Amino acid sequence: MSGAARSMQLLPNYLLLTIFLLIVLLPILGITLSAFKTDAEIVAGPFSLPSEWSLDAFKRAWTVGHFNQYFRSSTIVSTAVVIASTFLSILSGYAFGVMRFPLQRLVYFVMLIGFMVPFEAVVIPLYHIMNRFGLTDSYWALILPQIGQSISFGTLWMTSTFLSMPQELIDASALDGCNRWQSLWRVLFPISKPAVFTLVVLFFMWTWNEFLLALVMVQQESLRTLPVGLAFFQGRYTSDIPLMAAGSLIVAGPIILIYILFQRFFIKGLMGGAVKG
Amino acid sequence: MKTLIRVLSVVLVLIFTLSACTSKTVTTGDVTLVVWDQFYREAETQVIDTLNAEFEAAHPGVKIERVVKQLDDLKTTLKLALSEPNGPDVAQVNQGRSDMGAIVEAGLLLPLDDYAEQFKWDARFSASVNKRNSFSEDGKIFGRGNLYGVSATAEVVGVYYNETMFETNGWQIPTTYDEFVGLLDTIKAAGETPIAFGSLDGWNAIHEFSAIQHIFVTGQYLDDFVYAVNNVSFDTPENQAAAAVLSNWATAGYFTDGYSGIGYDDITKLFKAGQGAMTITGSWLAPELLADTDFEFGFFLLPQATADQAQLAIGGVGIPYSIRKNTLHPDLAAEYLDWMVSPRAAQLWAEASYVPAMPLPEDFTLEERSLFADTVLAWNRINQDNGVGHYIDWATPTFYDTIVAQLQKLLAGEIGPDAFTSQVQEDYGAFLADQ
Amino acid sequence: MVFFYGLSKPTMNHRRSWPGESKFLGFVYLLPALVIYLVFILYPIFETFRLSFYDWKGFGSKPTLIYLQNYQEILQKGQFLSALSHNLVFIAFYSLLPILIGLILASLLGRRALPGMAFFRTGLFLPQILSMVVVGVVWRWIFNPAFGPLNMMLKSIGLTWLALPWLGDSTWALPSVGLIGSWVQYGFCMVLFLSGMQRIQPELYEAAELDGANEIQQFFFITLPGLRPELGVALITTVIAALRVFDLVYVTTRGGPGDATLVTSFLVYRSAFQQNRVGYAAAVATILTAIILVVSFLITRYQSKSEV
Repeated sequence: MSGAARSMQLLPNYLLLTIFLLIVLLPILGITLSAFKTDAEIVAGPFSLPSEWSLDAFKRAWTVGHFNQYFRSSTIVSTAVVIASTFLSILSGYAFGVMRFPLQRLVYFVMLIGFMVPFEAVVIPLYHIMNRFGLTDSYWALILPQIGQSISFGTLWMTSTFLSMPQELIDASALDGCNRWQSLWRVLFPISKPAVFTLVVLFFMWTWNEFLLALVMVQQESLRTLPVGLAFFQGRYTSDIPLMAAGSLIVAGPIILIYILFQRFFIKGLMGGAVKG
Repeated sequence: MKTLIRVLSVVLVLIFTLSACTSKTVTTGDVTLVVWDQFYREAETQVIDTLNAEFEAAHPGVKIERVVKQLDDLKTTLKLALSEPNGPDVAQVNQGRSDMGAIVEAGLLLPLDDYAEQFKWDARFSASVNKRNSFSEDGKIFGRGNLYGVSATAEVVGVYYNETMFETNGWQIPTTYDEFVGLLDTIKAAGETPIAFGSLDGWNAIHEFSAIQHIFVTGQYLDDFVYAVNNVSFDTPENQAAAAVLSNWATAGYFTDGYSGIGYDDITKLFKAGQGAMTITGSWLAPELLADTDFEFGFFLLPQATADQAQLAIGGVGIPYSIRKNTLHPDLAAEYLDWMVSPRAAQLWAEASYVPAMPLPEDFTLEERSLFADTVLAWNRINQDNGVGHYIDWATPTFYDTIVAQLQKLLAGEIGPDAFTSQVQEDYGAFLADQ
Repeated sequence: MVFFYGLSKPTMNHRRSWPGESKFLGFVYLLPALVIYLVFILYPIFETFRLSFYDWKGFGSKPTLIYLQNYQEILQKGQFLSALSHNLVFIAFYSLLPILIGLILASLLGRRALPGMAFFRTGLFLPQILSMVVVGVVWRWIFNPAFGPLNMMLKSIGLTWLALPWLGDSTWALPSVGLIGSWVQYGFCMVLFLSGMQRIQPELYEAAELDGANEIQQFFFITLPGLRPELGVALITTVIAALRVFDLVYVTTRGGPGDATLVTSFLVYRSAFQQNRVGYAAAVATILTAIILVVSFLITRYQSKSEV
């Protein structure tokens, strides 16, 4: 079959894919364009180009809409959760995947429950526990439970990563005079970096997008994260579409950027179960 | 189990100390008063910021830390925040059983009766106004007992009309209910939307219904209903009639196209752009209608059956300022409250075209035939007629959710007026039975 | 929150302790994670369960033990059941529709590798990584009857009768919010199944064709069984998303109009944090959790059968 004939044959396939791709992309494109328009230009239709690429809506959202504060909160919370959860997941995954200790299976199973249950199941008492200790209205109220849920998945992920490492490799590091700690960081960690990085992007995405916990735990505007800020913001400025659009892009921007840079890891992580098959 | 609890408490104490280290330090001698309010609109914020600055200037060493929230936001977060050890000192607490009632019941608000005497608030507010901000100490009886808040602004719900459009078409302001209904037809026939209305947000559907309801019922009934005395019911012929009117208006196409999918702010925007001859909402909207628009707007009360009848309309005072019971600075907080309802505050609110709850300063002159004058006159009128109605959603803790859900069903034609009133009565009756 | 493959028993048996090492050393590594997990996840789960037997406002007064009354109310009043039925409708939109689209596309396109697939994959996957609040804001704008592009477009092509108040219409609100879910999930399913198709050996199809099997038979006897692991992942991800949906409803409709889009998790939030009915909310949360656990377990079993 000649190359041209072959591409002709594939054309319907590409057409089909393009249609489905457009359905995904057009809403995102529409909101992106709207963020740069004036109120009057909005009426001209969602895909008309703005006469001037104005950053005014972003400036208003950033200062008037307090997105600068929300952005700060989201960054602090996400950074803390990602670092702590990744580190702790490596340690616990190492314990489950490489060592032997009593009740190993049982504890493992108990830790798995965590990422199956939704936050709805924990948020009510969590709020009252935090309140009793004066921890609501602080970043701790967002960070600690989020770490709790993240390490549940992280433990699972790192355990299966470490389980796939051959026993000989581990024993060899013992013969080289490593203790367990050194064996982890000098031998196993370097070859697990892709798995760890997948964990990092997933943790970041989940924390950045988390809504219910942040909605309930924090009452102070200055501590709010981006998604909660945006949700309340939309109640206030529904009809100011450029402003809403700019706000949405500030929330989605960082995650889209990281996604485009590291999409391999996102897709691998989110499809993890199937890839293993 | 015991060890588990011990482990837990150790961890939590540890975390607590950690967080204590990071919390900000207050310089000695200075006092920070944390105030939560819901004056988020531009014009409102200016009034509050001016008042706060003047209060700080008059009280050296005192700093006001202001947290602005939208009402919806305030309602969800305030109860929880007031129960925190470091919650706000002063906050606007919505009246009614689901908010102020529940918070009083939880023992989180400071009774203000002593301060009322000290600052002579009685001279500024009528008994009917104070009733709205009062609860028994256990939070069970509404409209009696202790005073828990003072309001800075007054509110009256009525009809805004597009004066420019009215003049072009030669339409007259109706003086009786029948004239009003006739006007709706006339406007519709002229190809305009008679009433700009959107029910997506829910709460303003209550106003739409209740504004009509206030034409059919008596002030006494509304008092009894809201304060839960004399065992009245919601399932009455009057309420059914009002529901029927609302549902008829919906089917007759008097409301904005696609009204069930449009929110309150969007409707405001449409109305300002000349889409819709009238809109039914509260006096708080007036300042917003004065800015950035090509049209002139006016305001009138939804008329009674006859022109000489006493006027009854939804109204009351804005969300009151209250003091958290465990505040470290109750006296200072009370002084702040007094300042927020001072003649100076009345002056600033009036200048911003908001009707103050306090008497207008004597030297204040109303610009004749302005939108603001319309709303002030409407407020004065219902006060003279002793016809200040109620927000009916204050009646029970769950009334708001119930009536919004039922109104949306009524508007969609899913249920009729009879089913509507009996469904709502189910909520109200269950509440009365519980009392 | 989505993957369950770890439930199939890990092979920890071949690990051994090093000479002279305490058998409790593993706990040292585990301890920090375990403590945080116990305090902030597991203990609150038990507390939710315990609270579900109490009547409590959430602040002020002490909880009163009322045994099963919350559960009784859940079963007797229609609110919970109607919320749960909305979750079931969402399963059709979040799960069935995207999986169907994904399967059809995979069987049409998946048999040969398409150059440039990576580009399409990046785009199709995009909604998965977005905050549901952002998705909700975007779609609330699209559906807005006054300024939204959807109705603007419908009116401009003469379909004025179709320009409905989507999110405010008591009949259309639920499917409208559901369709947003389909929008989020279908790309994920497509990518998942397309990559799964690469694993199925082309010889199987060739042999089937020789045996006279038609396209539909090939789909049911080769494609579907071959994609079983992917189907498991797709099901578990999307079904749980449909059962848990909260952010999207909060942003688009808050459960309205009426209670037309009220879902279980929103009922939990509303009862616990707006209506001060903590015990009742805890009971609803407990049931929701139980349902999610059972569903996850069933799907995992279905999936793990294929991995034997």
